[in-house]
Amino acid sequence: MILQLKNIFKWVQQGGQRVFLLKDINLEVAEGEFISIMGPSGSGKSTLLNVIGMLDDFNEGEYNFLNESVHTLKEKHRANLYKQYIGFVFQAYHLIDELTVYENLEMPLLYKKHSGSERKAMVADMLDRFNIVGKKDLFPAQLSGGQQQLVGVARALIAKPKLILADEPTGNLNSKQGQEIMALFKELNKEGVTIIQVTHSEKNAEYGKRIIHLLDGRQLKHAG
Amino acid sequence: MLKNYFKIAWRNILKNRGLFSINIIGLSLGIASCLVITLYVADELSFDRYHEKANDIVRVVFKAKVNGEDIKEAVVMAPVAQAFQQEFPEILAATRLRNGGSPKITYNTATFRNGRFAYVDPNFFKVFTLPIIEGNKISPLEEPNTIVLTQEEAKKYFGNENPIGKILDFKDQGERFRVTAIMENIPQNSHFHFDMLASMVGNEEAKNASWMESGFFTYLLLKNDYNYKNLEVKLPAITEKYMGPQIKEAMGISFDEFTKSNKIGLLLQPLTDIHLKSDFSDNSTLEPGGDIKSVYIFWAIALFMLLIACINFVNLSTAAATKRMKEVGIRKVLGSNVQQLISQFLMESFIASVFAMLFAIVIVILILPLFNDLSGKELHLANLYAPEVFLGLLLLVFLITFLAGGYPAFYLSSFKPVAILKNKFVGSKGGKGIRNGLVVFQFVISAGLILTTLIVDQQIRYIQNKDLGYNKEQILVLRDADLLGLSQESFKNQIVSDPRVALVSNSGFLPAGASNNSMSGILINDKSPRRMVVYDIDDEYIPTLDMKILKGRNFSKEYGSDSLNVILNETAAKILGLGEDPIDKIIIRATDNQGSRQHLTVIGLVKDFHFRSLHQTIDPLIMLYQPNGGFIVKAKSADMAALIERISRIWNSYGIDEPFDYSLLDESYNKTYLVEQKMGTILRIFALLTIFVACLGLFGLVTFTVQQRFKEIGVRKVLGSTVPQIVGMLTMDVLKLVMIAMAIAFSLGYYLMNKWLQDFAYRIDIVWWVFVVAAFITVFIAFVTISYRSIKAALVNPVESLRSE
Repeated sequence: MILQLKNIFKWVQQGGQRVFLLKDINLEVAEGEFISIMGPSGSGKSTLLNVIGMLDDFNEGEYNFLNESVHTLKEKHRANLYKQYIGFVFQAYHLIDELTVYENLEMPLLYKKHSGSERKAMVADMLDRFNIVGKKDLFPAQLSGGQQQLVGVARALIAKPKLILADEPTGNLNSKQGQEIMALFKELNKEGVTIIQVTHSEKNAEYGKRIIHLLDGRQLKHAG
Repeated sequence: MLKNYFKIAWRNILKNRGLFSINIIGLSLGIASCLVITLYVADELSFDRYHEKANDIVRVVFKAKVNGEDIKEAVVMAPVAQAFQQEFPEILAATRLRNGGSPKITYNTATFRNGRFAYVDPNFFKVFTLPIIEGNKISPLEEPNTIVLTQEEAKKYFGNENPIGKILDFKDQGERFRVTAIMENIPQNSHFHFDMLASMVGNEEAKNASWMESGFFTYLLLKNDYNYKNLEVKLPAITEKYMGPQIKEAMGISFDEFTKSNKIGLLLQPLTDIHLKSDFSDNSTLEPGGDIKSVYIFWAIALFMLLIACINFVNLSTAAATKRMKEVGIRKVLGSNVQQLISQFLMESFIASVFAMLFAIVIVILILPLFNDLSGKELHLANLYAPEVFLGLLLLVFLITFLAGGYPAFYLSSFKPVAILKNKFVGSKGGKGIRNGLVVFQFVISAGLILTTLIVDQQIRYIQNKDLGYNKEQILVLRDADLLGLSQESFKNQIVSDPRVALVSNSGFLPAGASNNSMSGILINDKSPRRMVVYDIDDEYIPTLDMKILKGRNFSKEYGSDSLNVILNETAAKILGLGEDPIDKIIIRATDNQGSRQHLTVIGLVKDFHFRSLHQTIDPLIMLYQPNGGFIVKAKSADMAALIERISRIWNSYGIDEPFDYSLLDESYNKTYLVEQKMGTILRIFALLTIFVACLGLFGLVTFTVQQRFKEIGVRKVLGSTVPQIVGMLTMDVLKLVMIAMAIAFSLGYYLMNKWLQDFAYRIDIVWWVFVVAAFITVFIAFVTISYRSIKAALVNPVESLRSE
């Protein structure tokens, strides 16, 4: 078991009233799973993903990640946790425009204090694996959307995380590029990486082994 | 990691080339201006500090109010030095200097005239640090008729010969001096620059025991670290002790009685204050000094300049940093902690400030010769090679780094990455408030400087165009003409016969520039003498200088002898209490201190004319018929070159070994206000620079605002807003700030400029339209700066700005 959410609530105060973003979410994720989170706009998909990723906090409930209870951890401790075990993939790729593909891939390693030669080997390995060696000196603006997302996924993977969180990874891509990325996810999952993705598309959701439906911050219980 | 920071910093710089250049140019201009002014100020403050004992040397000065006349003189009486040294053990040495002007000097057969000459006491070299490089190093002036020359001056007379033991002949004084030593040239930052110092031993005037006759610059060397104020309080008693008996003898009244209606006192002035804090009458000082007020003003400008530049830098850097929110977010998600982000941003602003600093030094190197021309100084970059300066610059780099990098570093890196990445972040209100505050501050300074420049300009123009009571145009002054001796009359006749000459007067007294000087006591109510300026003139003088006779008549040959007649100026008539019609009244002039009297009949009243600078009010003045001292020539046309050429040829035809020398009265007049003019010019230049830098900042800021509101502008256009409406919206935001700034600047400026004007006895009133003009200029500059960007933004097709979402 990688993580476990128990009765998670998250709300904001609006005009003296509580507006719930997440309501009583319970979720267990085992190692090697591939989960898709679905639901209409505003249903709380991204919020849930951010809570799982520890980028956002919650108001009530328990969150255990690899036997650490996240809700009791200090900010700094939490940050160390996600830095070490979680890789993020974004809808808008979020590559740094001023850095080349190579440098973008290298960046997470810089923050983890790997030696220069180690970094070189890891980046080279990743470029190889994603077939983007020829693009290593290009800047994000010189790549197509699909290629940028490829780099985004590569960057998420480079520090060998246990869990990949992907927030609509194909949202900005055309269908062919989208399929390629999803195929990549499926393959990664086969290799043992745990993946949680948020998606709008039924088709992409099918790549996952389990689908969670959200509506107005609430988990819809049904088979699956 | 460091490499990565550098890389990012460098690529950001390249990407924002425009903003970055604005930023660097502004900052380096600011630093450069500040450095140049610092050099200037440091030089002004360094005067006379090269003397090893500078801090222990004071000058004895004389301040008095006698019969209504304010007297402030840097010279005192001959016996003061000796008396003080006898009375006060805390005085280690007292030494005197007497200005000897530029006498004619003969060596072998050659004659020289331009050397600056003074008599000094033998111990002068023990008090002041004037290193002797050749000859008698211990006591060069112990014997009578010995002289010490500067290196440069010695070269003039002797070339490469050994100067020691050579004899210089001062024929006019009937003295011969033997060179005993050669000293180093006197540094530029000294309150005196003599080329020759002769021994005062044996000098008759130096032995004068009178406490009533002045003329000696007197310096005291005090015990180490002795507070001169402690000595100063003891001076009145000593003054009474020595001066009392002499006053009694000359005037028949006791010292107590004399000081009942008069004030008289000897005071002490530290050597290091002489250059900047002297307000003694011109004829009693050695060289025109500086002004502590202008030093303060320049300091203030330097500080403002630096402040504005730094504010710009901070403003633009923080504005640019908000564009990098996304990067901050990504970095945080990818594992950066806050410290790492902070050091990244600090690194970037550090690179930029080092850049600006280096660039500033290049600017200083390029600009220094120009500034030297303008300020009449000899400043060298080498003056900056001091540990304090390097430390200061280093501190400045770090300060700017932290100010400019600190905001983005600490502020941006504190945000939650989700908020940034999800674009939930809508700019900080606080950051905007600070930026607006800084813009206001910059424009307070800019608008203030515009106002100041306008008022200073007006005052200078007022001085130049003021009705002086005489006409200074087309006047040629030949003060050396008395060197012609008996040939003067024929020389004059030759000039008068030239068709280009209107009038020629024989007098050495001039209301501007170098002039003869003379004062006499005129008895008020037939009792106490009031000192008044005496002009020796002839019958052509008043028409030549176009002065106005209000009552009575000018001197004239038709009336026989005018030698016991006098013409007064209005102030003199008023002080003497001669009433409405002074003509034919008798005034009494004291011709010496021993009680000799001369009765003079008033024949004319001349309209007050300004014979001193406009800083001072007009003093009483009397004119006597005593033609002497050179010629004053009024030309008929403004083209004087040919006339000067002709007179020069006449001069040379007399075959005396004196070069032809002349001056133009209007030029001499303008030189009187050189300090104000220089200040005006420098002020104008730095005002322009400051405004330019402030505009750079504004331009950058508007660029940034427009970028931030790109989408808003698109939406507004789709909804039907016109181009002028959008430009107006963007402009009004900034103009509002400028208005606030002007309100502050103008009230401050009004107060400060009134203070400055107080220094002029004759000054302009600050009128309302100066504010209107200043406001117009400020708004115009601000408007031009922002409109380019605003219009460009308003003209963009909205599809482009909305598509990017």
